Amino acid sequence: MALELRVWGSAFGLDSIDPECLAAVACFRSCIPRQDWTLIASNDAAVSSEYRLPALSHKGNWVSGYSDIISYLTKHGILHIDDDLTPPQRADTLACASLLATRGSGLLAMSLYVSPRAWVEMTRPAYSSLLPFPLTWTVPPAVRAAAVEKAEHLGIGYLAAEVDAEESSSAGLVETTSTGFLRLRERLGPRKTMQPEHTAAIRFQHFAEDFYSVLDDFRGHKTFFLRDDKPSSIDFLAYGYLQLMRVQTPHPILKNALEKSYSRLVVFVTELRSYGDNEELPWREPKARGALGLIGRFAEGSIEAIPGVGGSWRKWHKGGVDTRDTYDVRDPTQLIIAVGGAVTSVVALGAVALFRALPPFGASAHRFEAAREDRAGLRQFGEIGSILDGLPI
Amino acid sequence: MSSQNPSAASTKSPGASGWLAIPAPLARLFKRFPLLTYPPNELPVRSPRVRDVAALYVFISDQDALNGLPSFNPSCLKWQTFLKLAGVAFRAIPSNNHASPTGALPFLIPPSSPNSFVSAKPIPSTKLEQYTAENGTRKISEISSLKLEAYEALLNHRIRNAWLYALYLSRPNSALLSHLYVAPVSTSRVVKTTVLYQLRHAAEEEILRSIGALVVNPERLYDGAKEAFEALSTVLGSGEWFFGASKPSLFDAAVFSYTHLLLDQGLRWEDRRLTEIVEEFSNLVEHRNRILQRYWG
Repeated sequence: MALELRVWGSAFGLDSIDPECLAAVACFRSCIPRQDWTLIASNDAAVSSEYRLPALSHKGNWVSGYSDIISYLTKHGILHIDDDLTPPQRADTLACASLLATRGSGLLAMSLYVSPRAWVEMTRPAYSSLLPFPLTWTVPPAVRAAAVEKAEHLGIGYLAAEVDAEESSSAGLVETTSTGFLRLRERLGPRKTMQPEHTAAIRFQHFAEDFYSVLDDFRGHKTFFLRDDKPSSIDFLAYGYLQLMRVQTPHPILKNALEKSYSRLVVFVTELRSYGDNEELPWREPKARGALGLIGRFAEGSIEAIPGVGGSWRKWHKGGVDTRDTYDVRDPTQLIIAVGGAVTSVVALGAVALFRALPPFGASAHRFEAAREDRAGLRQFGEIGSILDGLPI
Repeated sequence: MSSQNPSAASTKSPGASGWLAIPAPLARLFKRFPLLTYPPNELPVRSPRVRDVAALYVFISDQDALNGLPSFNPSCLKWQTFLKLAGVAFRAIPSNNHASPTGALPFLIPPSSPNSFVSAKPIPSTKLEQYTAENGTRKISEISSLKLEAYEALLNHRIRNAWLYALYLSRPNSALLSHLYVAPVSTSRVVKTTVLYQLRHAAEEEILRSIGALVVNPERLYDGAKEAFEALSTVLGSGEWFFGASKPSLFDAAVFSYTHLLLDQGLRWEDRRLTEIVEEFSNLVEHRNRILQRYWG
């Protein structure tokens, strides 16, 4: 039974930079005997067909994503932590996993990726240490772009710029009016005296506390989320998210909210951590990527980063949502795209040919014409002659 | 008059204001025509005539709006149902996203008294719950359990993704999609094709963003939805309403908005996989029928 788990590598003193990878590592560590699995920090999402990590390889099958990996292992009788769950517990597991995947990952995206200071000072350097050289230029921006989209999707993206504007505006305490006089701050009420970044921080904190209170409510007074005696798969997933939320960022709103108001969740994290901590992780070095592979991946990343083109190229290259389903219907758009592509390329070729035929810019054009000997009729009598030449005689 | 005019023109024409003055012959010409004021244009047929009832702007066909039938858009139907549950009097008005101040339907324009000239401010869907609490005639049960939020995430994550796939991306349902969202937009073939492409593209982006993968297999989406409906079915159990409440809540309306549209015979689903999944859970089907009979009947 050779299980091979591929994850994003370690960062911030944790085993992985990604919550789901962290969860998978924690789950494997405490539930699967060490000799049965290997852990590879491949940092390459392209291994699985869905382009996401964690990815598990088992007898040639690739599964990716924490929930899918757990259900795969449970189905194959390798993992037994979720075996004796009652239907309500299963329902709770699913709902809680959805909450973590939407709200939880949105909060993490805000605190680690969207916030410019956290990104510049922590997350980007962490990715740079994980990735080989040219990929540090393409992969981290793509990861961040995805995180920004996620935060915007949740409707909390607008908080980011404000939360992080703290330095710039507190440095500019002295505001001047357009005529150069010092502008005094209006002090009319809390709303006026507060900087926008403070209100944003309060809103963000409120959002975070909402999230924690739901998790806290799920757990109730049990040791773990669903029961007292042993953890189930959802515990490890929550652990993964909470661990990353406890990372000290430049604006540790998530961390402070968790540790101040929800100390019971912190207790849960430490408890689960001790649950399988005595095991050494079966790390294995990833296979070195060849120079060609690196350059290929770099080129891929560069093309995907081109505005306007990248999205459709990625979709064409990687697939997007697979619509070629069991229902096979011929799609007329394919033909339109093919014809359009052909026409565009012909036009482009024509343009190139035309451009090469043009003289170089800036060069003066010389025209050589044979001198015309036209000295017949009245023209031969000089100026007057040429005037009279036009007369009908 | 006639003796004065030419003299005025002759004194003015060399001046700087000669550009702006109307030349005398033209002025005389204009004077021959009397000023005619047309009567004001009539209001468009779809503009609100009755303003003493709140108007809820939703995705709905004109005919269905007149008959007070459900909207075909889940988020609109959720609020439409919720207002019905709470006993708020309103009329559904066909609209689209471009009409909304927030960019998304539904929104509600509260009734304005005929004497006041200040038009009522539109209420976006995020504030509808509060509006309902103030204006509803029936009491809506408040779910105190915080688990509710997690189950809402389940609905907005797994079930919504499968819904988006089934309606927008599944090719057999193209006819239904065109009928609901594309045909009302325009009769031009070019516009229709573009709109269809944009809708599909947006739906795909939405699914991928929500899942966090670059490639998604529809089988996975349907499996995810099946698990989610199973979880909902478990939570509902044999109770009448979700979370053991004595009266329906917003969450019941949210679940109804998906189950009803999937089970509705009026919508011609060609790819019926999602419908078949819902049909497996008899208590969800009964829940849908209960709301339909009691509050929509």
